[in-house]
Amino acid sequence: MLPFYVINGNHLTLLSEKLTQMMEWASKRSVIRMNGDKFRRFVKAPPRNYSVVIMFTALQPQRQCGVCRQADEEFQVLANSWRYSSAFTNKVFFASVDFDEGSDVFQMLSMNSAPTFLHFPSKGKPRRSDTYELQVRGFAAEQLARWVADRTDVQIRVIRPPNYAGPLLLGFLLAVIGGLAYLRRHNLEFLFNKNVWAFSALCFVLIMTSGQMWNHIRGPPYAHKNPSTGQVSYIHGSSQAQFVAETHIVLLFNAAITMGMVLLCEAATSDMDIGKRKIMCVAGIGLVMLFFSWLLSIFRAKYHGYPYSFLMG
Amino acid sequence: MAEHHAVSDGKHKASTNAGGSVHGNSRPGAAGGGGGKGGLSGGLTQPAGWQSLLSFSILFLACLAGFSSRLFAVIRFESIIHEFDPWFNYRSTHHLTTNGFYEFLNWFDERAWYPLGRIVGGTVYPGLMVTAGLIHYMLNLLHITVHIRDVCVFLAPVFSGLTAISTFLLTRELWNQGAGLLAACFIAIVPGYISRSVAGSFDNEGIAIFALQFTYYLWVKSVKTGSVFWTIGCCLSYFYMVSAWGGYVFIINLIPLHVFVLMLMQRYSRRVYIAYSTFYIVGLVLSMQIPFVGFQPIRTSEHMAAAGVFALLQAYAFLQYLKDRLTRQEFQTLFFLGVSLAAGVVFLTVIYLTYTGLYAKIHIPIIASVSEHQPTTWVSFFFDLHILVCTFPAGLWFCIKNINDERVFVALYAISAVYFAGVMVRLMLTLTPVVCMLSAVAFSSVFEHYMGDDTKREKPPAEDSSDEDDKRNSGNLYDKAGKVRKHVSEQEKAEEGLGPNIKSIVTMLMLMLLMMFAVHCTWVTSNAYSSPSVVLASYNHDGTRNILDDFREAYYWLRQNTDEHARVMSWWDYGYQIAGMANRTTLVDNNTWNNSHIALVGKAMSSNESAAYKIMRSLDVDYVLIIFGGVIGYSGDDINKFLWMVRIAEGEHPKDIRESDYFTPQGEFRVDKAGSPTLLNCLMYKMSYYRFGEMQLDFRTPPGFDRTRNAEIGNKDIKFQHLEEAFTSEHWLVRIYKVKNLDNREPLDHKLRSVVPKQKYTSKKTAKRKRGHIKNKLALRKGKKLQKK
Repeated sequence: MLPFYVINGNHLTLLSEKLTQMMEWASKRSVIRMNGDKFRRFVKAPPRNYSVVIMFTALQPQRQCGVCRQADEEFQVLANSWRYSSAFTNKVFFASVDFDEGSDVFQMLSMNSAPTFLHFPSKGKPRRSDTYELQVRGFAAEQLARWVADRTDVQIRVIRPPNYAGPLLLGFLLAVIGGLAYLRRHNLEFLFNKNVWAFSALCFVLIMTSGQMWNHIRGPPYAHKNPSTGQVSYIHGSSQAQFVAETHIVLLFNAAITMGMVLLCEAATSDMDIGKRKIMCVAGIGLVMLFFSWLLSIFRAKYHGYPYSFLMG
Repeated sequence: MAEHHAVSDGKHKASTNAGGSVHGNSRPGAAGGGGGKGGLSGGLTQPAGWQSLLSFSILFLACLAGFSSRLFAVIRFESIIHEFDPWFNYRSTHHLTTNGFYEFLNWFDERAWYPLGRIVGGTVYPGLMVTAGLIHYMLNLLHITVHIRDVCVFLAPVFSGLTAISTFLLTRELWNQGAGLLAACFIAIVPGYISRSVAGSFDNEGIAIFALQFTYYLWVKSVKTGSVFWTIGCCLSYFYMVSAWGGYVFIINLIPLHVFVLMLMQRYSRRVYIAYSTFYIVGLVLSMQIPFVGFQPIRTSEHMAAAGVFALLQAYAFLQYLKDRLTRQEFQTLFFLGVSLAAGVVFLTVIYLTYTGLYAKIHIPIIASVSEHQPTTWVSFFFDLHILVCTFPAGLWFCIKNINDERVFVALYAISAVYFAGVMVRLMLTLTPVVCMLSAVAFSSVFEHYMGDDTKREKPPAEDSSDEDDKRNSGNLYDKAGKVRKHVSEQEKAEEGLGPNIKSIVTMLMLMLLMMFAVHCTWVTSNAYSSPSVVLASYNHDGTRNILDDFREAYYWLRQNTDEHARVMSWWDYGYQIAGMANRTTLVDNNTWNNSHIALVGKAMSSNESAAYKIMRSLDVDYVLIIFGGVIGYSGDDINKFLWMVRIAEGEHPKDIRESDYFTPQGEFRVDKAGSPTLLNCLMYKMSYYRFGEMQLDFRTPPGFDRTRNAEIGNKDIKFQHLEEAFTSEHWLVRIYKVKNLDNREPLDHKLRSVVPKQKYTSKKTAKRKRGHIKNKLALRKGKKLQKK
């Protein structure tokens, strides 16, 4: 009986030692950085009553892993939300293993892709669902939190640090404008310049009607390159979606048609000599017709079954 | 002031016009009665008469065209209420006409949201129902006995005619009569507006756009005249708008914005003060009379801008007053203090509103699941507005270049509406009128210059100079006699024109564009916006048409064959239709006010049968109705919506429902053999594909081939324990299941203890010698050893 007690005592002291060590690291950094030795000692070795969620990654610049950096940011957000929440306990720790610091760990787990998220449960072996399905669920911190809640019963409310860049930039811009206006306070003519106002209003309207808001919310790719043929298509084939390049083209076309209309009116009303006005007039109607028919042909290519076209098939 | 009133009909307008538009030296905008009409009227002895006749007939034809192009659905199908929300509106209108107005206001609908019920009177905008009810009442008074359904079906087309008229009035105030007529023609047929106002689409938007445009017209009119008369008219129209549609918030933010920008531009005047002060107070009081709106106008953030601008306007007016009383120095310090404070407050408000305004970014599944709440691609803009979307920036350019008080308004209208339309597809509706107006301005200014001969070369309406009051005294744009003299010299200088050839080419091409626009509008209306979605149509190879009337067939079955108080569970899309057509109690409907209740239904649909049965028992469900499109290839069925049910259920019950369980390990949503077992055994799957595995649709495909998803289903052997099939419509589009009552005795959860006798006894008796026997009697046989077991 006696040796058993001794072993058990060792076991307990070892466990509490490990736990205090982990807590100490966790208090320094919310994501504990591990190398091969640490991993073996604190994650792999048996006496353990805490779960560890580990991100296997390759953050060194020479690895050129762009996804790793984004995933790392999300993981940091998650770990920080946990570290600084009131419910923080020593049940779950977040750690990361970089390929360049612990490649032996990668070999040990026979892993060949990064980033990978694994959960090492406090009891028993990792199961299939302890590997996070990165392809399916993405690496948003909220998704990760749900996965962690699923695996460990620890609910983490993801709190993102508020993004001050937008309001700061806006404030800065306003300050610059205000400063300029103050400097030129004796000559505020430019505020009454109708052309400036009309131009900026037009810009806004054109940006909106060409679907930039859709781009902003959905984040489509700029253009699509066919991997087999290498052909780049700028126009999305479906009417439900669009590429960024496509919206820029549409914006230009709309602007050209608008300009054509304005030119037509200018040609008729301006005081220039008749030759110039005729040129303006022809250019205006040309712009309107050319770009409208072009736009119509693009629309027709996207909206299958649309029967009408004009000048261009 | 006397000359301003009673000019709302065309004749008065034109007769004031007559003085200005005699021959070549006429002032520009005046003669522009629809572009070319100037030339026609010029040579006649009584141009005014001709002009007003032409305007009147063009306007009338526009209304007629607008009305008739909305009738595709009625002609192809029948006079029927469309889609989902209109069914609720129709049902409420029906309630209103049968039970009276007060009964309607106090209506508690116990047939919706079982077991919660819904207070209908306090949670709807009653304008639509009251309008339809009133028309019905008037017609019946005149002994024209029409059914309320027909009133409802034709209400939106009739109101589109009124919208055309109010757009004409508004554009005439902004630019000139020609532009007004063009705008009326545009709005009559533009798909962006037709999408919400075809016959049968009995929805709030159908009458709200008329109210919106008319309110704006009266507002512009009251800003121009500064008369309380017009402002009160504006308030009444605003009241109608509030009673009709939640989009009134757009008005109550745009008008204060207009006033605010006018103040910034130092265009403050007593007219603006009178108009806005009256509008804000009277409009506020009136809008609070609608039960659904109640105290919102003084509590919620979206109304705060109006209150802020009201306070600012009072302060500004007070400062103006002080300016007359104080010395310059004192005034300046006070002024700067006040302005900087106010600017700070307004700036914060604007920032706040911008942040709350981006509500398409809210990722609540129930909001994201509605396709109308998506951002807008350029294709939708082009599809709904065609040439107008390309040309209306030009109209905006002209308006800003020749700015005056009311053009400030239209510019702000355009900019704010285009922003909202970009954020959300359904708000394209508020953008459409302003696009029509500004495009009309662009086209009409081109036509003004290019139609007619060179001697009639005209200027755009003279821009508004500093002496506004002078302009106001002369009334409207048409009789600014004082301005004409200024331009005479310029016109003489630019006598040489562009020549008739170029002019006629430009005119022809422009007319061609407009013709293409008309053709496009008709095509879009006919193909995209004229399907009632209650009745489906499919076309055979030879062009003959099949009508699929499964929805009504099934709803009628429910109406005829089920108990009057039976409770039908379905996904929320069909709630209004079940209530309207089948007259049965529903659990959830399109008024998605209770997310957790919807999530419970979603959970029932996505759980396995026994778990679902528990939920259905607790909700007292008698029948379950689902839509299944696998037989005819209808893509809007419940399996395609299923992931949204799972997501919404997961939002409320994350322990029980997990979206990832319904995907294959590769992350695909598949209904065939490779699909996830959770999906293949959930209630929705089983109800959709029950007995479908036995059905072979044609010889090329295996039995149980789903045409919508192009896959052979993975679970063909479906058996129900707690449900039974009650009804399946002709094309299997609607399937109704009856929820069985509890069995008499609950089957035991565990297996029965097997009590196999140690020794099997089989009677050797035949029927002839049936006598008693002793159980477990030792059977001794001679010559055999007794075997021990």
